[in-house]
Amino acid sequence: HQVLRVVPKSHEELHKVQELQDLEHLQLDFWLEPRGLWDPVDIRVPFPSLQPVKAHLESGGVSYSVMIRDVQALLEEEQQQMLRSSRQLPLSTDAFDYEAYHTLDEIYAFLDLLVAENPNLVSKLEIGRSTEDRPLYVLKFSTGGTERPAVWIDTGIHSREWVTQASGVWFAKKIVEDYANQEGVASILDTMDIFLEIVTNPDGFAYTHSSNRLWRKTRSKHPGLLCVGVDPNRNWDAGFGGSGASGNSCSQTYHGPYANSEPEVKSIVDFVQSHGNIKAFVSIHSYSQLLLYPYGYTYTPVPDQQELDELSAKAVSALSSLYGTEYKYGSIITTIYQASGSTVDWTYNQGIKYSFTFELRDTGLYGFLLPANQIVPTAQETWLALKVIMEHARDNLY
Amino acid sequence: IPDSGHKYYLQFSTEDYRTGENAGNCLATVLYPKKKSPPVVSMKCSHTTDQKEIQEEDNRLYERLRHQTKPITGNNIPDSYGNIEPALEPVWALAVVGSSSIMWEKSAEDMGYSLAQVKSVQQWIRKDDFVEFDYTVLLHEMPTQEIIPCHMRLTWLPAHPLKVKHFCASHNHRLEDGSGVESGSAAGLSDERGANF
Repeated sequence: HQVLRVVPKSHEELHKVQELQDLEHLQLDFWLEPRGLWDPVDIRVPFPSLQPVKAHLESGGVSYSVMIRDVQALLEEEQQQMLRSSRQLPLSTDAFDYEAYHTLDEIYAFLDLLVAENPNLVSKLEIGRSTEDRPLYVLKFSTGGTERPAVWIDTGIHSREWVTQASGVWFAKKIVEDYANQEGVASILDTMDIFLEIVTNPDGFAYTHSSNRLWRKTRSKHPGLLCVGVDPNRNWDAGFGGSGASGNSCSQTYHGPYANSEPEVKSIVDFVQSHGNIKAFVSIHSYSQLLLYPYGYTYTPVPDQQELDELSAKAVSALSSLYGTEYKYGSIITTIYQASGSTVDWTYNQGIKYSFTFELRDTGLYGFLLPANQIVPTAQETWLALKVIMEHARDNLY
Repeated sequence: IPDSGHKYYLQFSTEDYRTGENAGNCLATVLYPKKKSPPVVSMKCSHTTDQKEIQEEDNRLYERLRHQTKPITGNNIPDSYGNIEPALEPVWALAVVGSSSIMWEKSAEDMGYSLAQVKSVQQWIRKDDFVEFDYTVLLHEMPTQEIIPCHMRLTWLPAHPLKVKHFCASHNHRLEDGSGVESGSAAGLSDERGANF
């Protein structure tokens, strides 16, 4: 079915259109009935009647335009949209499904809901824009003060690590709940701010939904290079370009043409440097069940090795206490592999002593495709470890 | 071990992936020779599960697979959300076992693998007693972080070791976006040109 629009410019034209109304066998459906000169007339015309209607109008020199080429297609598209939007229906963060994986739009809608529900605690900052011009949002949890020492947590820097973004959403809600009940991290919020970037790589994340579930990198296309994307965890200015990253743009660990080439990375660098008072920085990945501290680019131990190691032991112990999930811990290079240009190597070198990377569940059985029913248990146990780190930072400000 | 290679002594336990129950403890040694040849492995395991029970389960699974009226097919197991259709779970489990043999062959002192996803599976109904499956599996390679597609053909008869034939795509310089050979060579040219600027 098509929808035709006629704009009668003379009484003869208007009459010609009105004649169509009497031709019942054509089964025409007037969405806009003929009225006066220059008033548009919209007619839904069933397929078999298209020829006769067009012939009738043309015989009177009446011009028409095709407003809708295919009504059925439009209906189907709308159906789809309605299905999609009914998934976005959560009108409150209490109604949000924390036990499911969500799309970028759903998570971004969640951010706004959380802020709207807790305007005195939560605000949303835009720290930059991705390569494909998506906003990079950070939630700020603060009970006041100015330039308070802060904790930074990011999830989803590698887009295929879906349990991390999902956990980030859970963390956000948990912080708000703890504060409302004056328990848990409420005491940390008395003296520190918490910054949480849930979708650190939104272009990659959108790509994992639309095209390739196992996409890891950003979606940047640098001039002269064969392949798309830079590994955002090799793009930081710490041992950049050294062993432990690839110079091949097609590689999953491609470090990029130069440090901070990726806006997703540069925006965090700028934020951290301008804030100047971040005391703990945690970057969250999956999978492998590890808690890691710097360095990844060199075997040289960090000066604070002993303290970080002891803190890791405590954090891992707290994590395991919930469900018995076993974690290993240590420096990146000795525990997982050599990696240059990684996030927490840079943040540590900026003076952020408590710099940690997590690798969440599991150890390879489902890997990146962790069943959704493990999201909440993973987030819950990880949160216990994060609290240990945050409390230690609060009690050992430097 | 000077002039010989690196020798690792391992003690580990295995568990049933469904119940989490301990399924056996093992002691192993792995010697990676200095020259790149396959490692020398010795292993001894003790079973903590009832062997008879396992045999019976195997037989039940076998009967189910053997008497399919329609060949089993599937895609994306698990799916993006980590879901595995209950009916396809045994087929996934077989893939885990089969791909472990691929990983056994491919892994090295500095290269490890996990099964990321079963991209597709197709059962071939045979006239003899064997059950047979054709798989495309995606292996997650560490530390490169690459996803390696492998073609795997699996044949099985209970009480016999799984027979696995495989062919994996060679990694490095793979075109991620599948944009085709032509754009590959064209961009390859510009890659070099870029270097000259």
